[in-house]
Amino acid sequence: MYDLLPDRLPWYVVGPGLGFILVSLFVIANQPLGASGAYVQTSLFLRRRGAVAAWRVWYFVGMALGGFIVSQVLREGAEVRSGYDALRAVFPLGVVVPMVFAGATLLGYGAAVAGGCTSGHGLCGTSQRSPASAAVTATFMTTAIITTFVLRVVTGGDL
Amino acid sequence: MKLNLIGLLFGALFGGLLAGAELHEYDTIHAMLRLDEAHVFLIMASAIACSAPVLWMLERRGFTTPFGGEFALSRSMPERHHWQGGALFGIGWAVAGTCPAPALVMVSSGAMLGLVAIPGIFLGLHLRERQTRTDQHVGDGEHRDLVSVRR
Repeated sequence: MYDLLPDRLPWYVVGPGLGFILVSLFVIANQPLGASGAYVQTSLFLRRRGAVAAWRVWYFVGMALGGFIVSQVLREGAEVRSGYDALRAVFPLGVVVPMVFAGATLLGYGAAVAGGCTSGHGLCGTSQRSPASAAVTATFMTTAIITTFVLRVVTGGDL
Repeated sequence: MKLNLIGLLFGALFGGLLAGAELHEYDTIHAMLRLDEAHVFLIMASAIACSAPVLWMLERRGFTTPFGGEFALSRSMPERHHWQGGALFGIGWAVAGTCPAPALVMVSSGAMLGLVAIPGIFLGLHLRERQTRTDQHVGDGEHRDLVSVRR
């Protein structure tokens, strides 16, 4: 709407910013800022299973809201689009949709097995100096880079 | 009640920063994993470099948090499920080019394929829940007793 943030924010703003909110939530509520935990709680809430940590459902909503404020209000409103430009340049939509769904299912399952994702283990767990989180982070970084390399080879360097 | 507002606020701050750095774009994640760009690596490294020493100092000091009782960090040793889950997560992350938080921002930024990713993440989490029939792994990395903070 307002085009106040035309360029992407540099790492030296976003990284320390994430560190600041991560520490703040520990100081205020003694809780890690894990996103897959918010999915789990939101799923329990939607299925009306008991013992839901309601604030994590609000946290789930907040992530989408914050993204909306930055990308639509502070920036020149991004139009409705498909996203995934680099992937769509290589594959037709009929391949992209099942590929994204399968990848997302696999990462959701993996996050549940590992007990956390990029935020829970990658940022919060490592910041707490947890060996398990460091192991998860090193593992997913490695397999993600290898998988990307394999996709690149399979597509003849297009992806 | 207040805690719900805190949840909303921290979610918005987190989502806003992800959008600011364009971490919700497939192309950003893909460029990192192709090792074309250091942007995301630097974000993760600098976030940890900023927060770990502060958390360490606060842990040594010790105090009572307003909403979560005694300030305490949690650590655990790697077990087999950590390696297995991490490996599967990484493969999915590379294929889908997103992870749980950025997928939400993807949709609110107008990228409609995020609507394909989010149900997939829910399905994956649900499959594991059915498999284990336990809420032991709630997905916050080093996680906490959720009941104690319900207000």
